[in-house]
Amino acid sequence: MKSEVMVGNKAVAYAVKLARANLIAAYPITPQTTIVQYLSEFVAEGELKAEFVNVEGEITAQLACLAGSIAGARAFTATSGPGLLYMHEALHGTARYRAPIVMAVANRGVRTMGPDHSDMMAQRDTGWIQLYCENNQEVLDTGVMAYRVAEDERVRLPVSFGLDGYVLSYTAEPVEVPDQEEVDAFLPPYKTEYPVLPETFDEDIERYKRHWAQGKSIDEPFTPLAADESFSHLTMVNWGGPHDQQWRWRSHQDAMTRAKQVIKEVDEEYGRRFGRSYGGLVDEYRCEDADAALVAMGTVASTARAAVDRLRKDGKRVGLVKLRSFRPFPREEFQRIGKAVDALCVLDRNISLGDEGGIVYNSVRSAVYGLEERPMVMGYHLGLAGKEVRVRDIEKIAERALAERGGAEPPVRWV
Amino acid sequence: MTRKKMSIRDIPREEAMWPGNPACQGCAGSLVGRLVYKALGRNSVRVEVASCAPGFMNIRVPSFFSPAFEGAAAFLTGLARGYKLIGREDIIVAGLIGDGGTVDIGFQGLSAAAERNENIFFFTYDNEAYMNTGGQRSGATPYLARTATTPISDVSRGKAEEKKNMPMILALHKVPYVATASVAYPEDLIEKVTYGKGIKGFRYMQINAPCPTGWGIEPKDSIKVARLSVESGIWPLYEIEAGRFRLTYKPRELKPVTDALKIQGRFRHLSDDELSVIQEKTLGEWERLVGLDGKELY
Repeated sequence: MKSEVMVGNKAVAYAVKLARANLIAAYPITPQTTIVQYLSEFVAEGELKAEFVNVEGEITAQLACLAGSIAGARAFTATSGPGLLYMHEALHGTARYRAPIVMAVANRGVRTMGPDHSDMMAQRDTGWIQLYCENNQEVLDTGVMAYRVAEDERVRLPVSFGLDGYVLSYTAEPVEVPDQEEVDAFLPPYKTEYPVLPETFDEDIERYKRHWAQGKSIDEPFTPLAADESFSHLTMVNWGGPHDQQWRWRSHQDAMTRAKQVIKEVDEEYGRRFGRSYGGLVDEYRCEDADAALVAMGTVASTARAAVDRLRKDGKRVGLVKLRSFRPFPREEFQRIGKAVDALCVLDRNISLGDEGGIVYNSVRSAVYGLEERPMVMGYHLGLAGKEVRVRDIEKIAERALAERGGAEPPVRWV
Repeated sequence: MTRKKMSIRDIPREEAMWPGNPACQGCAGSLVGRLVYKALGRNSVRVEVASCAPGFMNIRVPSFFSPAFEGAAAFLTGLARGYKLIGREDIIVAGLIGDGGTVDIGFQGLSAAAERNENIFFFTYDNEAYMNTGGQRSGATPYLARTATTPISDVSRGKAEEKKNMPMILALHKVPYVATASVAYPEDLIEKVTYGKGIKGFRYMQINAPCPTGWGIEPKDSIKVARLSVESGIWPLYEIEAGRFRLTYKPRELKPVTDALKIQGRFRHLSDDELSVIQEKTLGEWERLVGLDGKELY
């Protein structure tokens, strides 16, 4: 293990190197660019053995990763803001193929250069797992853990993880870099469980035909034939087979649900091996006896942590719930926490225009809706387009929650 | 590399395609798939994007539908790199892509893959419009052709622009191999595919594939139209290997373009003047190619 002062983008690059990703395809975009630069240096220096594809755009970056993953590669890409929007169509495809690709997103707004979470929020329904990081150490650790989650047999889903653009991507912090041997023991080099090879084509087909003959679809997580059923590549074989494709969505949703447990297990194991873990889906900070809890993602959680510490000094019982996994969304955790507190203040660095409140706010509110005694859920929009988020702003939010709890739920507010 | 001149007898007997085919009657695109994979053999994979092909190409190799129309070349790239990583560069990574997925929406990624000289074989079955969605104009639609989006009226005479010259565009990316082919000349097609599969790097082949439904021809005339297109110079057969241009078929005398055009519904509206414009353009291009024959393109 060594410690190095590094920017968030370098922490991503180290994670990818430690994970021994061997196919990297990416296109430059601020503030993600240096991730790929660091990686291309690792590859050029021979420190990382990988196929490096300098593609000409983000859609092709994603598709090269997807196809590479099918052929047997451990694939990685990274993007940001508008680049992620451009990639959107292909994200659905990767999810449909259930390819265990990992992607870092240097979170950037979609209307300005400033950081916020609107880029990843716009990919909410693509079927990717979404994790958010608070600091550069968590970025490195999450990058390594992401492959374990993605490749777990119970999951087999692509994983994205966000680091706030500039605030983390270009800011240097001390980061502990685990030894390669230890990471290898935690995450062995990749070997696909589902090779797609010409020589096994005929037997694959016979297997699928047996499925179809029983009126069943192929509920194997990752085969191109399964993924392509709907497109009748095997028209003559496939005709008369099940054409209900809705099951695929259901199967994907089941995998998302199972991913909750897997994310927790992987985080615990990482803690045992490397001495750092992050609470699984949510990281609860000073919540034990809290009357009100703040809910935040990314670096806003860091600022909120400072606010909690200050308020605690004054004897105010306030805690923080850092949401690490936005997809799958930890409903059960919020129900448990919701029972214990009087108010949840959700700090959304995003907005779904035309509805009331941020995206996380609405998910949290929905999670606690069924509770017999549900807490007041207060929603705040802040930090959009990189607007400064101060400790004092968050202190005020928490103080207000303590004062207003028990009353009527207030409208969503802007900071 | 040694090269064997092929005759119709050299076409492999083994079929890579399953029997039965739900394509339209007379579909030349379907024949392209059959011939190409006969020559490539079954140690290959196939990529498709949105086009007619995913609906009828029953080819017995692992087949992938790229989830983005624009992504054929990138998907091929990923497969080629991935198979290289697992030590299986022997697998031929090929795509059967329509003209829209090649010259229009797929152009950016294709140009990039060519520039990177990816180890892929990209086949375009060119039916000269978006036939799968009902025959709308593409960049590959020829001059003055009627399509669903270039109708004929008092003010519109069909497509106002000329066909995008994709083989030449890709050849100027300095890739190892570019060729044109026609379903009416299967021995030429098979010979080029067989030769091309032995070359490492980016390979491109554009195959004229008449579409009876979209072109307004009788299903029985698909091959006839394809043959007349070659014999009149509309669809020259050539290859460009490492920059050297070579016509692979030179008719002693070109037939008039009207022979090929008059039996196609999409050209039925053409006046004599318009036909002679096309005749002139075709001859001009043919003479240019004859001038290039055997020479370095760059």
